[in-house]
Amino acid sequence: MGNRSGNVYGLTMLSPILDDPAAEMSHAVALRIYLAKLGRDEKSPFAKISSTHMARLVVMDDVVFVGYPAHEEHLKSKYLIFEANFDGDLDTYLERMAQETPDEVEAVWGHCVAFPGLTDPAKFVTYMKSCQLTTTFYFADVNDKTVKDTLRALQIQSGLATFIERSNEMSPAELRAAFAEFWKSVEESPPPLPAAKAVGVLPCFLSGKNSARVRGIP
Amino acid sequence: MTNINGKTYAMNAITPLKPWKTLILRAFFFLLGLIKPMQKNLVNLSFIHFARWVIIPRRKFPYLGDRQKREQLRYDYLLFFSNFNGTWNQYIDAFSAVLSSGLNAIWGWTEKYPGAVPVTPFKRHIARCQFDTDYYYTAYPYATTNDVKAAHRVESAVRAFAAESRAMQPHEFALAYQKLLVTVQSDLGETGEPPVGT
Repeated sequence: MGNRSGNVYGLTMLSPILDDPAAEMSHAVALRIYLAKLGRDEKSPFAKISSTHMARLVVMDDVVFVGYPAHEEHLKSKYLIFEANFDGDLDTYLERMAQETPDEVEAVWGHCVAFPGLTDPAKFVTYMKSCQLTTTFYFADVNDKTVKDTLRALQIQSGLATFIERSNEMSPAELRAAFAEFWKSVEESPPPLPAAKAVGVLPCFLSGKNSARVRGIP
Repeated sequence: MTNINGKTYAMNAITPLKPWKTLILRAFFFLLGLIKPMQKNLVNLSFIHFARWVIIPRRKFPYLGDRQKREQLRYDYLLFFSNFNGTWNQYIDAFSAVLSSGLNAIWGWTEKYPGAVPVTPFKRHIARCQFDTDYYYTAYPYATTNDVKAAHRVESAVRAFAAESRAMQPHEFALAYQKLLVTVQSDLGETGEPPVGT
Protein backbone atom coordinates (compact mmCIF):
# COMPACT_ATOMS: atom_id res chain seq x y z
CA MET A 1 0.00 0.00 0.00
CA GLY A 2 1.04 3.64 -0.28
CA ASN A 3 4.39 4.37 -1.81
CA ARG A 4 5.58 0.79 -2.11
CA SER A 5 4.62 -2.23 -4.22
CA GLY A 6 6.72 -5.28 -3.40
CA ASN A 7 10.36 -4.23 -3.68
CA VAL A 8 9.61 -1.16 -5.80
CA TYR A 9 9.21 2.34 -4.33
CA GLY A 10 6.96 4.88 -6.06
CA LEU A 11 8.09 8.44 -5.36
CA THR A 12 5.78 11.34 -6.24
CA MET A 13 6.93 14.91 -5.62
CA LEU A 14 5.53 18.35 -6.37
CA SER A 15 8.14 21.10 -6.05
CA PRO A 16 6.84 24.66 -6.45
CA ILE A 17 8.76 26.47 -9.20
CA LEU A 18 10.21 29.92 -8.52
CA ASP A 19 8.21 32.84 -9.86
CA ASP A 20 10.43 35.81 -10.65
CA PRO A 21 8.58 38.51 -12.64
CA ALA A 22 11.87 40.38 -13.17
CA ALA A 23 13.60 37.45 -14.85
CA GLU A 24 14.16 37.62 -18.60
CA MET A 25 13.03 34.01 -18.94
CA SER A 26 10.69 32.38 -16.43
CA HIS A 27 12.05 29.51 -14.35
CA ALA A 28 9.39 27.18 -15.78
CA VAL A 29 10.50 27.89 -19.36
CA ALA A 30 14.19 27.59 -18.48
CA LEU A 31 13.49 24.28 -16.78
CA ARG A 32 11.59 22.95 -19.79
CA ILE A 33 14.45 23.94 -22.11
CA TYR A 34 16.96 22.17 -19.87
CA LEU A 35 14.84 19.00 -19.65
CA ALA A 36 14.34 18.91 -23.41
CA LYS A 37 18.11 18.68 -23.87
CA LEU A 38 18.81 16.18 -21.09
CA GLY A 39 19.94 12.74 -22.35
CA ARG A 40 17.46 9.90 -22.08
CA ASP A 41 19.76 7.01 -23.04
CA GLU A 42 22.61 5.45 -21.07
CA LYS A 43 23.96 8.98 -20.52
CA SER A 44 20.84 9.95 -18.56
CA PRO A 45 21.41 10.94 -14.92
CA PHE A 46 18.90 8.26 -13.98
CA ALA A 47 21.07 5.60 -15.67
CA LYS A 48 23.78 6.59 -13.16
CA ILE A 49 21.30 6.02 -10.33
CA SER A 50 21.06 2.45 -11.53
CA SER A 51 18.16 1.42 -9.28
CA THR A 52 15.75 3.58 -11.34
CA HIS A 53 13.24 1.58 -13.39
CA MET A 54 11.38 4.59 -14.78
CA ALA A 55 11.25 8.29 -13.94
CA ARG A 56 9.70 11.46 -15.31
CA LEU A 57 9.96 15.19 -14.76
CA VAL A 58 6.98 17.32 -15.70
CA VAL A 59 6.26 21.01 -15.40
CA MET A 60 2.62 21.32 -14.33
CA ASP A 61 1.40 24.77 -15.32
CA ASP A 62 -2.01 24.64 -13.72
CA VAL A 63 -4.93 22.43 -12.78
CA VAL A 64 -7.54 21.61 -15.40
CA PHE A 65 -10.95 23.19 -15.85
CA VAL A 66 -13.23 20.37 -16.96
CA GLY A 67 -16.17 22.58 -18.01
CA TYR A 68 -19.34 24.00 -16.47
CA PRO A 69 -21.01 23.49 -14.02
CA ALA A 70 -17.65 22.69 -12.39
CA HIS A 71 -15.96 25.62 -10.69
CA GLU A 72 -13.00 27.15 -12.54
CA GLU A 73 -9.93 27.66 -10.39
CA HIS A 74 -6.19 28.07 -10.89
CA LEU A 75 -2.94 27.32 -9.11
CA LYS A 76 -0.86 30.18 -7.77
CA SER A 77 2.40 28.34 -8.53
CA LYS A 78 3.65 26.11 -11.28
CA TYR A 79 4.98 22.80 -9.96
CA LEU A 80 7.72 20.43 -11.00
CA ILE A 81 6.42 16.87 -10.78
CA PHE A 82 9.00 14.17 -10.15
CA GLU A 83 7.64 10.66 -10.52
CA ALA A 84 10.08 7.76 -10.05
CA ASN A 85 9.90 3.99 -9.69
CA PHE A 86 13.02 2.51 -8.10
CA ASP A 87 14.43 -0.35 -6.04
CA GLY A 88 15.17 0.04 -2.35
CA ASP A 89 14.33 2.80 0.11
CA LEU A 90 13.76 6.52 -0.34
CA ASP A 91 16.65 7.87 1.75
CA THR A 92 19.24 5.80 -0.14
CA TYR A 93 17.78 6.90 -3.47
CA LEU A 94 17.81 10.60 -2.58
CA GLU A 95 21.36 10.34 -1.23
CA ARG A 96 22.44 8.68 -4.50
CA MET A 97 20.82 11.52 -6.45
CA ALA A 98 22.86 14.06 -4.47
CA GLN A 99 26.11 12.10 -4.73
CA GLU A 100 25.95 10.70 -8.27
CA THR A 101 24.08 13.39 -10.22
CA PRO A 102 24.81 16.67 -8.41
CA ASP A 103 25.00 18.83 -11.56
CA GLU A 104 21.63 17.68 -12.87
CA VAL A 105 19.95 17.96 -9.46
CA GLU A 106 21.24 21.55 -9.10
CA ALA A 107 20.18 22.40 -12.66
CA VAL A 108 16.63 21.06 -12.16
CA TRP A 109 15.71 21.85 -8.56
CA GLY A 110 17.65 25.12 -8.64
CA HIS A 111 14.51 26.47 -10.34
CA CYS A 112 12.36 25.49 -7.36
CA VAL A 113 11.33 27.34 -4.20
CA ALA A 114 13.46 26.70 -1.09
CA PHE A 115 15.89 24.27 -2.78
CA PRO A 116 18.80 24.26 -0.31
CA GLY A 117 21.53 23.13 -2.71
CA LEU A 118 23.70 20.07 -2.15
CA THR A 119 26.38 21.33 0.23
CA ASP A 120 24.49 19.61 3.05
CA PRO A 121 23.01 16.33 1.71
CA ALA A 122 20.79 15.96 4.80
CA LYS A 123 19.11 19.29 4.01
CA PHE A 124 18.56 18.15 0.43
CA VAL A 125 16.87 14.93 1.62
CA THR A 126 14.66 16.91 4.01
CA TYR A 127 13.74 19.34 1.21
CA MET A 128 12.82 16.53 -1.20
CA LYS A 129 10.67 14.85 1.44
CA SER A 130 8.87 18.13 2.14
CA CYS A 131 7.73 18.06 -1.51
CA GLN A 132 6.65 14.42 -1.41
CA LEU A 133 3.05 13.28 -1.80
CA THR A 134 1.84 9.95 -0.48
CA THR A 135 0.68 7.67 -3.27
CA THR A 136 -2.94 6.68 -2.77
CA PHE A 137 -2.74 3.54 -4.91
CA TYR A 138 0.39 2.16 -6.54
CA PHE A 139 0.50 -0.60 -9.15
CA ALA A 140 3.70 -2.31 -10.33
CA ASP A 141 3.17 -5.27 -12.65
CA VAL A 142 6.61 -6.75 -11.90
CA ASN A 143 7.45 -5.75 -8.34
CA ASP A 144 9.86 -8.44 -7.18
CA LYS A 145 12.77 -7.83 -9.59
CA THR A 146 15.43 -5.14 -9.46
CA VAL A 147 16.54 -3.14 -12.51
CA LYS A 148 19.72 -5.22 -12.56
CA ASP A 149 17.67 -8.45 -12.44
CA THR A 150 15.55 -7.33 -15.39
CA LEU A 151 18.48 -6.18 -17.53
CA ARG A 152 20.24 -9.47 -16.82
CA ALA A 153 17.10 -11.45 -17.73
CA LEU A 154 16.73 -9.55 -21.03
CA GLN A 155 20.39 -10.27 -21.78
CA ILE A 156 19.93 -14.00 -21.12
CA GLN A 157 16.71 -14.12 -23.16
CA SER A 158 18.46 -12.51 -26.13
CA GLY A 159 21.55 -14.68 -25.66
CA LEU A 160 19.56 -17.90 -25.51
CA ALA A 161 17.71 -17.04 -28.74
CA THR A 162 21.07 -16.53 -30.45
CA PHE A 163 22.45 -19.73 -28.95
CA ILE A 164 19.47 -21.77 -30.19
CA GLU A 165 19.91 -20.40 -33.68
CA ARG A 166 23.62 -21.14 -33.59
CA SER A 167 23.39 -24.65 -32.15
CA ASN A 168 20.72 -25.98 -34.46
CA GLU A 169 22.81 -28.66 -36.17
CA MET A 170 25.20 -29.64 -33.39
CA SER A 171 25.74 -33.19 -32.15
CA PRO A 172 24.82 -33.85 -28.47
CA ALA A 173 28.48 -33.64 -27.43
CA GLU A 174 29.02 -30.39 -29.34
CA LEU A 175 25.79 -28.99 -27.94
CA ARG A 176 26.82 -29.73 -24.36
CA ALA A 177 30.22 -28.11 -24.84
CA ALA A 178 28.75 -25.08 -26.62
CA PHE A 179 26.12 -24.58 -23.90
CA ALA A 180 28.80 -24.77 -21.20
CA GLU A 181 30.68 -22.01 -23.02
CA PHE A 182 27.49 -19.96 -23.45
CA TRP A 183 26.59 -20.24 -19.78
CA LYS A 184 30.12 -19.39 -18.63
CA SER A 185 29.91 -16.29 -20.80
CA VAL A 186 26.58 -15.35 -19.20
CA GLU A 187 27.98 -15.74 -15.71
CA GLU A 188 31.14 -13.75 -16.45
CA SER A 189 29.48 -10.87 -18.30
CA PRO A 190 28.22 -7.76 -16.53
CA PRO A 191 24.51 -6.94 -17.00
CA PRO A 192 23.73 -4.48 -19.82
CA LEU A 193 23.84 -0.77 -19.08
CA PRO A 194 20.50 0.78 -18.04
CA ALA A 195 18.69 2.58 -20.88
CA ALA A 196 20.98 1.15 -23.57
CA LYS A 197 19.44 0.58 -26.99
CA ALA A 198 20.45 -3.09 -27.04
CA VAL A 199 21.30 -5.70 -24.44
CA GLY A 200 24.62 -6.33 -26.19
CA VAL A 201 26.27 -9.46 -27.54
CA LEU A 202 27.70 -11.98 -25.08
CA PRO A 203 31.47 -12.55 -25.54
CA CYS A 204 30.91 -16.24 -26.37
CA PHE A 205 29.26 -15.22 -29.64
CA LEU A 206 32.27 -13.18 -30.69
CA SER A 207 34.85 -15.98 -30.38
CA GLY A 208 34.94 -19.72 -29.64
CA LYS A 209 32.42 -22.51 -30.37
CA ASN A 210 29.40 -20.19 -30.64
CA SER A 211 30.97 -17.46 -32.73
CA ALA A 212 29.63 -18.21 -36.23
CA ARG A 213 26.38 -17.04 -37.80
CA VAL A 214 25.25 -14.68 -35.08
CA ARG A 215 22.18 -12.59 -35.80
CA GLY A 216 23.06 -9.02 -36.62
CA ILE A 217 26.80 -9.68 -36.73
CA PRO A 218 28.36 -10.12 -40.16
CA MET B 1 7.88 13.14 -28.36
CA THR B 2 8.76 13.34 -24.67
CA ASN B 3 5.71 11.33 -23.62
CA ILE B 4 7.31 8.32 -25.30
CA ASN B 5 10.62 6.60 -24.65
CA GLY B 6 11.17 3.45 -26.71
CA LYS B 7 8.09 1.28 -26.25
CA THR B 8 6.75 3.03 -23.18
CA TYR B 9 4.40 6.01 -22.91
CA ALA B 10 4.29 8.32 -19.89
CA MET B 11 0.80 9.62 -19.24
CA ASN B 12 -0.12 12.34 -16.73
CA ALA B 13 -3.66 13.43 -15.91
CA ILE B 14 -5.27 15.60 -13.26
CA THR B 15 -8.96 15.76 -12.37
CA PRO B 16 -10.84 17.79 -9.73
CA LEU B 17 -13.15 16.25 -7.15
CA LYS B 18 -15.22 17.60 -4.31
CA PRO B 19 -13.48 17.08 -0.95
CA TRP B 20 -16.30 14.97 0.55
CA LYS B 21 -15.95 12.50 -2.33
CA THR B 22 -12.25 12.05 -1.57
CA LEU B 23 -13.14 9.92 1.45
CA ILE B 24 -15.16 7.50 -0.68
CA LEU B 25 -12.41 7.31 -3.31
CA ARG B 26 -9.80 6.61 -0.65
CA ALA B 27 -11.98 3.79 0.69
CA PHE B 28 -12.23 2.31 -2.82
CA PHE B 29 -8.42 2.42 -3.29
CA PHE B 30 -7.99 0.84 0.14
CA LEU B 31 -10.21 -2.07 -0.92
CA LEU B 32 -8.44 -2.30 -4.29
CA GLY B 33 -5.12 -2.73 -2.48
CA LEU B 34 -6.55 -5.20 0.00
CA ILE B 35 -8.56 -7.44 -2.34
CA LYS B 36 -6.11 -8.62 -4.99
CA PRO B 37 -8.76 -10.22 -7.30
CA MET B 38 -10.07 -6.66 -7.86
CA GLN B 39 -6.74 -5.96 -9.65
CA LYS B 40 -7.12 -8.99 -11.94
CA ASN B 41 -8.08 -7.10 -15.10
CA LEU B 42 -5.31 -4.56 -14.56
CA VAL B 43 -2.76 -7.39 -14.29
CA ASN B 44 -4.24 -9.35 -17.20
CA LEU B 45 -3.99 -6.38 -19.56
CA SER B 46 -0.23 -6.72 -19.05
CA PHE B 47 0.86 -3.54 -20.76
CA ILE B 48 1.34 -1.29 -17.75
CA HIS B 49 4.78 -1.35 -16.12
CA PHE B 50 3.83 1.04 -13.31
CA ALA B 51 0.77 3.20 -12.57
CA ARG B 52 -0.31 5.30 -9.62
CA TRP B 53 -3.14 7.45 -8.37
CA VAL B 54 -2.37 10.27 -5.95
CA ILE B 55 -5.06 12.32 -4.22
CA ILE B 56 -3.95 15.83 -3.24
CA PRO B 57 -6.31 17.44 -0.73
CA ARG B 58 -6.92 21.10 -1.59
CA ARG B 59 -4.92 22.33 1.43
CA LYS B 60 -2.06 19.84 1.05
CA PHE B 61 -0.23 21.19 -2.00
CA PRO B 62 3.41 21.51 -0.86
CA TYR B 63 4.03 24.96 0.62
CA LEU B 64 7.68 25.86 1.12
CA GLY B 65 7.66 29.37 2.51
CA ASP B 66 7.38 33.02 1.67
CA ARG B 67 8.63 32.84 -1.89
CA GLN B 68 5.50 30.87 -2.78
CA LYS B 69 1.86 31.96 -2.58
CA ARG B 70 -0.46 29.59 -0.72
CA GLU B 71 -2.94 27.73 -2.89
CA GLN B 72 -6.61 28.56 -2.34
CA LEU B 73 -8.59 25.77 -3.93
CA ARG B 74 -12.14 24.55 -3.71
CA TYR B 75 -11.43 21.06 -5.07
CA ASP B 76 -9.18 18.18 -4.12
CA TYR B 77 -7.29 16.76 -7.10
CA LEU B 78 -6.69 13.24 -8.38
CA LEU B 79 -3.37 12.80 -10.18
CA PHE B 80 -2.82 9.78 -12.39
CA PHE B 81 0.51 8.62 -13.79
CA SER B 82 0.94 5.60 -16.02
CA ASN B 83 3.89 3.91 -17.79
CA PHE B 84 2.31 1.79 -20.49
CA ASN B 85 3.20 0.09 -23.79
CA GLY B 86 1.54 0.93 -27.08
CA THR B 87 -0.08 4.07 -28.37
CA TRP B 88 -2.39 6.45 -26.52
CA ASN B 89 -5.38 5.28 -28.56
CA GLN B 90 -4.65 1.60 -27.93
CA TYR B 91 -4.35 2.29 -24.21
CA ILE B 92 -7.56 4.26 -23.87
CA ASP B 93 -9.49 1.82 -26.10
CA ALA B 94 -8.30 -1.14 -24.01
CA PHE B 95 -9.09 0.66 -20.77
CA SER B 96 -12.55 1.54 -22.00
CA ALA B 97 -13.28 -1.98 -23.26
CA VAL B 98 -11.83 -4.03 -20.41
CA LEU B 99 -11.77 -1.83 -17.31
CA SER B 100 -14.81 0.41 -17.74
CA SER B 101 -16.39 -0.52 -14.39
CA GLY B 102 -13.07 -0.03 -12.57
CA LEU B 103 -12.49 3.33 -14.26
CA ASN B 104 -16.00 4.45 -13.43
CA ALA B 105 -15.48 3.42 -9.79
CA ILE B 106 -12.42 5.72 -9.66
CA TRP B 107 -13.08 8.71 -11.93
CA GLY B 108 -16.84 8.57 -11.37
CA TRP B 109 -16.17 10.63 -8.22
CA THR B 110 -14.41 13.39 -10.18
CA GLU B 111 -16.10 16.37 -11.84
CA LYS B 112 -17.67 16.07 -15.28
CA TYR B 113 -16.51 12.49 -15.84
CA PRO B 114 -18.53 11.17 -18.80
CA GLY B 115 -18.05 7.41 -18.13
CA ALA B 116 -15.63 5.04 -19.86
CA VAL B 117 -18.24 3.94 -22.44
CA PRO B 118 -18.92 5.19 -25.09
CA VAL B 119 -15.27 5.79 -25.85
CA THR B 120 -15.52 9.06 -27.84
CA PRO B 121 -16.52 11.39 -24.96
CA PHE B 122 -14.22 9.40 -22.67
CA LYS B 123 -11.23 10.12 -24.93
CA ARG B 124 -12.21 13.76 -25.23
CA HIS B 125 -12.33 14.06 -21.44
CA ILE B 126 -8.92 12.37 -20.97
CA ALA B 127 -7.35 14.60 -23.61
CA ARG B 128 -8.63 17.61 -21.67
CA CYS B 129 -7.24 16.35 -18.34
CA GLN B 130 -3.90 15.12 -19.67
CA PHE B 131 -0.68 17.14 -19.69
CA ASP B 132 2.60 16.35 -21.40
CA THR B 133 5.80 14.93 -19.97
CA ASP B 134 8.94 17.09 -20.23
CA TYR B 135 11.48 14.37 -19.51
CA TYR B 136 11.00 10.62 -19.53
CA TYR B 137 13.50 7.91 -18.63
CA THR B 138 13.23 4.14 -18.64
CA ALA B 139 16.00 1.65 -17.87
CA TYR B 140 14.68 -0.80 -20.48
CA PRO B 141 13.14 1.32 -23.24
CA TYR B 142 12.87 -1.46 -25.82
CA ALA B 143 11.18 -4.03 -23.58
CA THR B 144 7.43 -4.12 -23.02
CA THR B 145 5.85 -5.41 -19.82
CA ASN B 146 5.32 -8.77 -21.54
CA ASP B 147 8.97 -8.81 -22.70
CA VAL B 148 10.11 -8.25 -19.11
CA LYS B 149 7.90 -11.05 -17.77
CA ALA B 150 8.99 -13.41 -20.57
CA ALA B 151 12.67 -12.63 -19.98
CA HIS B 152 12.35 -13.48 -16.29
CA ARG B 153 10.64 -16.78 -17.15
CA VAL B 154 13.43 -17.62 -19.63
CA GLU B 155 16.13 -16.73 -17.14
CA SER B 156 14.56 -18.88 -14.45
CA ALA B 157 14.22 -21.88 -16.81
CA VAL B 158 17.77 -21.56 -18.20
CA ARG B 159 19.33 -21.17 -14.76
CA ALA B 160 17.55 -24.30 -13.56
CA PHE B 161 18.61 -26.17 -16.72
CA ALA B 162 22.24 -25.05 -16.36
CA ALA B 163 22.36 -26.30 -12.78
CA GLU B 164 20.58 -29.60 -13.43
CA SER B 165 22.39 -30.50 -16.65
CA ARG B 166 25.93 -30.01 -15.38
CA ALA B 167 26.59 -33.73 -14.77
CA MET B 168 24.52 -35.10 -17.66
CA GLN B 169 25.96 -37.23 -20.45
CA PRO B 170 25.61 -35.76 -23.97
CA HIS B 171 22.47 -37.69 -25.03
CA GLU B 172 20.71 -37.03 -21.74
CA PHE B 173 21.78 -33.39 -22.04
CA ALA B 174 20.35 -33.12 -25.58
CA LEU B 175 16.98 -34.49 -24.43
CA ALA B 176 16.84 -32.08 -21.47
CA TYR B 177 17.81 -29.24 -23.82
CA GLN B 178 14.88 -30.09 -26.12
CA LYS B 179 12.55 -29.94 -23.10
CA LEU B 180 14.01 -26.53 -22.21
CA LEU B 181 13.27 -25.26 -25.73
CA VAL B 182 9.66 -26.43 -25.48
CA THR B 183 9.35 -24.63 -22.13
CA VAL B 184 10.76 -21.29 -23.32
CA GLN B 185 9.79 -21.28 -27.01
CA SER B 186 6.95 -18.78 -26.61
CA ASP B 187 9.10 -16.44 -24.49
CA LEU B 188 11.94 -15.80 -26.93
CA GLY B 189 10.54 -12.82 -28.82
CA GLU B 190 13.24 -10.31 -29.62
CA THR B 191 13.19 -6.82 -28.10
CA GLY B 192 14.15 -3.82 -30.17
CA GLU B 193 13.02 -0.56 -31.74
CA PRO B 194 9.26 0.02 -31.59
CA PRO B 195 7.12 0.49 -34.70
CA VAL B 196 6.20 4.07 -35.47
CA GLY B 197 2.93 4.71 -33.66
CA THR B 198 0.35 7.44 -33.58
